Amino acid sequence: MFAGLQSPAPARAMPYHEFYLDDFQPRDHYRPLWEHIRRAGQNLLAEKARDAHLALHTEGVTFTVYNDSEEGIERVWPFDLLPRIIPAREWDLLEAGLRQRIRALNLFLKDIYHGQRIIKDGVIPAELIYKGKDFQRHVLDVDPPHDIYTHISGVDLIRDIEGRYLVLEDNLRTPSGVSYMIENRIVERRILPEFFAHYRVRRVEHYPDLLLKALRHLSPRGADAAEIVVLTPGIYNSAYFEHTFLAKEMGVELAEGRDLVVKNNVVHLKTTRGLKRVDVVYRRVDDEFLDPLCFRADSALGVAGIMNAWRAGNVALVNAPGAGIADDKAVYAYVPEIIRYYLGETPILANVPTYQMTDPHDRELVLSQLEGMVVKAVAESGGYGMLMGPASTPEQRRDFTRRINEDPRNYIAQPVVPLSRHVCYLDGELESRHLDLRPFIIYGEDIDVVPGGLTRVAMTKGSLVVNSSQGGGSKDTWVLAD
Amino acid sequence: MLSRIAESVYWMSRFLERTDNTARLLDINLTHLLEADEAGSEELQWAPLLHIVAGNEVYQRIFPDGAVTGARMIRYMVQEKGNSGSIYAALKGARENARVARDRVSKEMWEALNEFWLQVDGHVTHRLSPERESVFFKHVRAEVARFHGLTVSTMLRGDAFSFYLLGTFLERADMTARILDVKYHRLLPDVAQVGSPLDYYQWGALLKSLSGFEAYRRHYHGGIRPLDVVDLVVFSRHFPRSLHFAVDRMTQAIQEIGTSQVDCAVCRALEGLSALLTARAPEEVVREGLHEFLTDYLDQLSTLHASLQNEYFEAHLGMEQCVI
Repeated sequence: MFAGLQSPAPARAMPYHEFYLDDFQPRDHYRPLWEHIRRAGQNLLAEKARDAHLALHTEGVTFTVYNDSEEGIERVWPFDLLPRIIPAREWDLLEAGLRQRIRALNLFLKDIYHGQRIIKDGVIPAELIYKGKDFQRHVLDVDPPHDIYTHISGVDLIRDIEGRYLVLEDNLRTPSGVSYMIENRIVERRILPEFFAHYRVRRVEHYPDLLLKALRHLSPRGADAAEIVVLTPGIYNSAYFEHTFLAKEMGVELAEGRDLVVKNNVVHLKTTRGLKRVDVVYRRVDDEFLDPLCFRADSALGVAGIMNAWRAGNVALVNAPGAGIADDKAVYAYVPEIIRYYLGETPILANVPTYQMTDPHDRELVLSQLEGMVVKAVAESGGYGMLMGPASTPEQRRDFTRRINEDPRNYIAQPVVPLSRHVCYLDGELESRHLDLRPFIIYGEDIDVVPGGLTRVAMTKGSLVVNSSQGGGSKDTWVLAD
Repeated sequence: MLSRIAESVYWMSRFLERTDNTARLLDINLTHLLEADEAGSEELQWAPLLHIVAGNEVYQRIFPDGAVTGARMIRYMVQEKGNSGSIYAALKGARENARVARDRVSKEMWEALNEFWLQVDGHVTHRLSPERESVFFKHVRAEVARFHGLTVSTMLRGDAFSFYLLGTFLERADMTARILDVKYHRLLPDVAQVGSPLDYYQWGALLKSLSGFEAYRRHYHGGIRPLDVVDLVVFSRHFPRSLHFAVDRMTQAIQEIGTSQVDCAVCRALEGLSALLTARAPEEVVREGLHEFLTDYLDQLSTLHASLQNEYFEAHLGMEQCVI
């Protein structure tokens, strides 16, 4: 399946620019914004940038960066003033591609945890699944409500030098960022209301409503009797702001593991008036911490017995345990095949070419060209455990060569794709920076894709790393109505 | 509501009340120093404060020589991270608990508290200059007042609001009782001084630290008399920082919350406090010993706290044990 892969794109090729055409004229859909910025002048922009930062600071829109201290550092959400604009036509294609992908991945999960036809038919090697860290034996033959495993997904998209959207990775465990997508919009609307006058921007603020509807749909006691909780690891988690945001927006309890107790395979909340039955748990705690009786016995974040309650059909877990195997970076390479296999359709969105380090031919190719590669540990996320080839030192490359040879299943490599760029307002200047896009998909009664997503920006000049934990920023993302 | 969140709301308001009380105490003490220059050594002026906030032990750890000076006390009670009653630590505690209970506090409350915290967090790294001290304390008190105002006008009336009241009034009652105790017990060991100008300033300072000077003047026309001060600060049902007012508010809050316990220890603790206040008149209490009375009151407050802990915050922990 890797035939036809080109060698890495030469570093000289210019990345796609979202904002400008080749002659530094703005693209048509950016023209009204461009005119407006020119009229507004630098001083106004500087003032607005300050206002935006202050608003986020006061409101306490933060994320936590892990460091050596136990508490981590709480940082204000980084926000860039200038919105990214996606024309309606472009979005229609993305939306169709995302729906298709999530539908296929969900069917894949159902199959992997039931008959495993896809392995028997030789489409995916058994070893790839069984050795995946996120393949959970506890989930085999369990039927989650309505056969949905991936209720909430975030898919990271980038654009290649021709401007074609590619999927960089799928996030099917506990993808975060949706609250920041909404906060970006709230701040943008407040600080730059005049921008909106020139565009018809589709709204994103109803996301929590869609989410609540999808969660209610899963209740074992029916949507009308749904007691829902958001399960958080607590205030030191990097996405704690988001957990409170979602609980508050939906009007449901925000619980920690110690607030829940399982009795007779039924999950209960410990309230000031006694125990209260819980039907749906939107958990923002990873599988391995979810239930000390099944997974890590030393975890204090989870709830003892919650897996049994789930298996007995007494509670819905969102996303389903074990869903992580479908976003394993090694499985990722097979997603186009997965789409063809389950849906009989041609994938609408392409993958970034991916080399499997278990394949001796691929491995040799990658190790000989590490400077042009991005190497990722399959079990890591958030920009941890990565080698960025062009920015690496010889010592780092030697280190990764050793690590890859020691445990090839744990690594994949991709040629460096020069992410598209966009203008940002930085310290009084308009400068171009690389970015990606994470739209969010809710799988409930239907599949909903909120028109927009989280655009993450690499704030350091030339950098391709956009994660907020690595110093990245963000932009409001506008999908145009037509 | 969730037990843990109830506990966080309770502690949020206790810490905030503590922030306010500390700022009041320091501000009034500074003013008092300026007003009464014949009042003795620096140590004598500041040591009672340490006693009020029950901070001797921690203070000793931070300043092993034990010498009490104004500059040290300000640092200890404003910035010191190791002192849980310092403005910095108490406000941090309030904000941290509000963050935990963020789905229960209103957006307005959260933003006011977060903004307040950001200002104090910014301040705390450099030393407070003497000419800025009073401005800073007034600012702190204004911010707490703003928070209370926003709470009253934006927070949903329900269990969370009741726990907010419990935290506020328990902390306030505790501090009022301590201030009164120290004043009576330590500041004026010499009965002969009652009625002296020094006494006037000291009782005046006490009333001011409770925002009660004007209320006192309006209701008692016999000058500053200890018995009347005790009447206002302990027994009045209309003065918002009195011991009786606090008990009334806490009783109302518990009635709103309701209890599922057959034998309600929280109710018993509140009844005990109430009985303490209705059984006797001010004259009797002063004659039999105000210190003993206040000690009794403070003990019953801590019983109340323990039973809140037991009945509402740690409810059902036993069951968890059974399941595992």
